[in-house]
Amino acid sequence: MMTPQSKQTPQSKQTSQNRQTPQNRQPILQVKGIRKTYHLGRVKVPVLHGVDMTVRHKEWITILGASGSGKSTLMHIIGGLDRPDKYPEDPASIVYGDRVITDMGAAALNAYRSTEVGFVFQFYHLLPELDILQNICIGSMIRYGRFGYRSKRKGVEARAKELLDRFGLSDRIKHRPAELSGGERQRVAIARALINEPAILLADEPTGNLDLKTGESILDVLAELRESGGLTMVMVTHDERIAARADRVIRLIDGRVVEQTGVGSV
Amino acid sequence: MPILAMLAVMLSVATILITWSVMGGFLKTLVNSGRSLIGDVTVSWPNVGFAYYDELIVMLEDDEMIDGATPIIETFGLIQLPDDRIELVTIKGIDPVSYDRVTNYTDTIWWKPIDEPTAKDRDGSDVRLDPQFTGAMAMFESNAVTLTRLNPESGQTERAGVLGVEVTGLNIRTEDGIYDPRANGFRALPDGRIERVPGFMPAGGSVGLTVLSLDSTGKPVDPVTRTIPIANEFQSGIYEIDKSTIFVPLEIMQEMLRLNEARKVQLVENPFATEVDPVTGLRRPKMSEVVGIDPARVTTVLVRSVDGAELQEVRDRVYQIYQDFEAKHHGEVPSSFSMENQIRTWEDLNATMINAVKKETGLVLFIFGIVSFTSVFLVLAIFWSMISEKTKDIGILRALGASTTGVAWLWIRYGTAIGLIGATMGTAAGYAVVININAIHDWIGRTFNLVIWDPRTYYFIEIPSEVDPDKAIIVFIVGVLTCVLGSLIPAFRSARMDPVKALRFE
Repeated sequence: MMTPQSKQTPQSKQTSQNRQTPQNRQPILQVKGIRKTYHLGRVKVPVLHGVDMTVRHKEWITILGASGSGKSTLMHIIGGLDRPDKYPEDPASIVYGDRVITDMGAAALNAYRSTEVGFVFQFYHLLPELDILQNICIGSMIRYGRFGYRSKRKGVEARAKELLDRFGLSDRIKHRPAELSGGERQRVAIARALINEPAILLADEPTGNLDLKTGESILDVLAELRESGGLTMVMVTHDERIAARADRVIRLIDGRVVEQTGVGSV
Repeated sequence: MPILAMLAVMLSVATILITWSVMGGFLKTLVNSGRSLIGDVTVSWPNVGFAYYDELIVMLEDDEMIDGATPIIETFGLIQLPDDRIELVTIKGIDPVSYDRVTNYTDTIWWKPIDEPTAKDRDGSDVRLDPQFTGAMAMFESNAVTLTRLNPESGQTERAGVLGVEVTGLNIRTEDGIYDPRANGFRALPDGRIERVPGFMPAGGSVGLTVLSLDSTGKPVDPVTRTIPIANEFQSGIYEIDKSTIFVPLEIMQEMLRLNEARKVQLVENPFATEVDPVTGLRRPKMSEVVGIDPARVTTVLVRSVDGAELQEVRDRVYQIYQDFEAKHHGEVPSSFSMENQIRTWEDLNATMINAVKKETGLVLFIFGIVSFTSVFLVLAIFWSMISEKTKDIGILRALGASTTGVAWLWIRYGTAIGLIGATMGTAAGYAVVININAIHDWIGRTFNLVIWDPRTYYFIEIPSEVDPDKAIIVFIVGVLTCVLGSLIPAFRSARMDPVKALRFE
C-alpha cells in the first residue's frame, strides 16, 4: 500500500531518487500574484495583496502571521477551498505540478481537495455523529463515491487502522470525537487528512487549541510524517516557536509576504 | 429534530389516510345502500309503462351476463297515515319473490327475529331480540316476504304493503342504532279531542294510498284511493328512501294505475247507431266491440347482473336484448331509440347522491390536504434549522472534496429516509386507527362521554372501517414526497454554502 509519504507527483519521482537538499528540490506548488478581497456588505476588506510563494517537494513551510494577516485565506486558496480575485491585467495563478488550480472548474477542484491535499484545522472539525474510524474513512467515501467505496472499504479501513495504530489511537477506534482529548482529536484529524494519501498536508494552526505539551506531540507527529516519507507540509501559525521547526518560514503581514527565512528561503 | 420531521410526516399521512378511508367507506356504504333496492340496471318507461314485460324478463334471464330480472311499477302518490297526516311518497309495486332475487329486499325488512344484537346495541334492548316477540316477528317477516297480512276480523289474508321505517315517524331511532316502536300515535279530532291510533304499523296498521290512474295514452283519468294494510317496515340505509317509500303488491298498483290486463274495444263513432240484441231480438244502441286484449304493463324492469360483470357492459347487453324484444313487438312497446336513455345503471340513477358525497369527500380531503401540506413547510423549517446547525460539518465535507451536488444529495437522501420512515409509521398508524375506529370511538364515548358518530344523526350504525390498499399506497407516496419536497430548498441552500464561511461558522 502506498503511504502518504511515498505518494509523489511526476516531478517528484525524479527528484526523490537522489537525496536532495530542500533548496534544490523541484517545486510542487507555485503561487503567484494571489490577491483576495472580502466584501462585508458594501465594505471591501482586502486580505491578500499579491502573494508569491513556492513550495517544494517534502518541504515543511510555515506561514507565520498575526491574526488577520491573511494566512488562513492563503491556505484555503492553496487548498482549493476558496478562489483568488481575478484581475485580467495581472492574472494570479497557483500551479500544482503541471495543473493550474486557479483555472480549475468546480469538479476538478473537488477532486484536487479530495486526492492531492489534506486539511488539518485548529478546531479539528471532526464529525460528532461518526466514530473515529468513520471520521477517518469519510474522506475516502467522498473520493470514491457511495458505490466505489464499497469495493475499497476493506483496504481503506485497514489503512485507517494503520494510521490510528501509528498515532497511538488503535484502542479508540469506536469512540466518538467527544470522548477524546484535544490532542487525540487532532491526531484523528491528521489521520483523516492522510487517508487518501495526499501530496500536501495543509494545517491551519494545528496546535492552536492545544496546550504546549500536547501541541509539541502533534508537531512531533507531523515531523515524523515528513521525516519518514517526505510529506510536503504547509502550516499556518502565529506561534514563532512552532515556526522554528519548519524548513522555511514565510512571514505574512497585512496580506503581503514580507520575509522568508530558513533553509532554501527565496 | 429529525424525529420531529418524522412525526410531522407520520401525522399528516395518518390524518389523510383516516379521513380518506372513513369518507370513502361512508361513500361506499351509502352507494351500496342506494344500490340495494334497484338492482344493477333498470329498464324504465314511466307513466304508461310497457307491455309484454314477462317476455322481456325471460329474454333477459336467458342471457349469461344476467342473474335475474323483476317487474316493478314506480309512481308517486299520497299516503294518509293513521294520524291523518298526508305525505307524498314513492310507491313501488313489486312482485316480492322476483324482487328479492334482483335486490336484497328481504335483508332490508326491519321487523324480524334476530339472534345477535346489532353493533351498537350493547344492552340488547332491541325489541326484535325479545323472546316473547319472536313469534310475532317471524310472522311480520313472513308477511313482508309475501306482501300479505291476515285480517283478524274477516279471517282473510289480504294483500299488504311494506312501509319505509321512517315514514310514520313513530319508530324512534335510538343512539344504539335501533328502532324503538311507539305503540300508539295520536290523531287530532275536529272537536279538539285526541284519539289514539295504532303506532306499530305491522300490528294492525293501515294507510290510505292515493294515485292518479292513467288512460292508455298516459293522461290522468281520476284519483284512485285504496286502504293498504301494512305487513312490515323496511330500512334500506338511505334515509330519503326510508322516509318516503312504500312497497305494495304489483297487481295492486297495476289495478290502481289501470296498467293491468284489459279488453281492447272498438269505440262506436256514431252515437245514434243501433243494433239488434241477439238475446231479446229488440233494437238497442250499438255496443263497443271487443277487438282484443291489452296486456298488463309495468313502468320498470330491474336487472341484476352476475357477480363480477362490468356494469356498463351489462347495461349495453340489456339494451341489445331490448332491441331484440322491440323487434318482436314492434309498435306495441317503446322503441329502442326512445329506450336508449331509459336503460340506466344504478350509478346513473344515484348520480346526484354519489356525486354529492364524492364532492364532500373531495372537499374534506382538499382541506386536510392543505393542512397536511403545512408539513412540507414544517419539514422545510426543521431541515433549514438542521442545516444551520450542521453548517460546519458541511464545510468539513466540502474541505474533504465533497461536491455541491453531493452535499445537496446527502440532505435529499436524508429527507427521503425520514419521509419513508415517517410515511411507513403514518400508514401503519392510520391503518390501525381505521380498523379499530369503532372501538376507539366507543372508548372515547365511555371515557369522555363524547359521541361523535351518533346513529341518531348518521344513518349508519358504525363508522366505516376499511382501508383501501390503493389509497394507502397513494397517501404513503404523497407522505414521502412531502418530506422530499420539504428538504429540497434546505438541500439547495446547503449546496450553495461557501465552504470557507461554513468552516468558520460558529
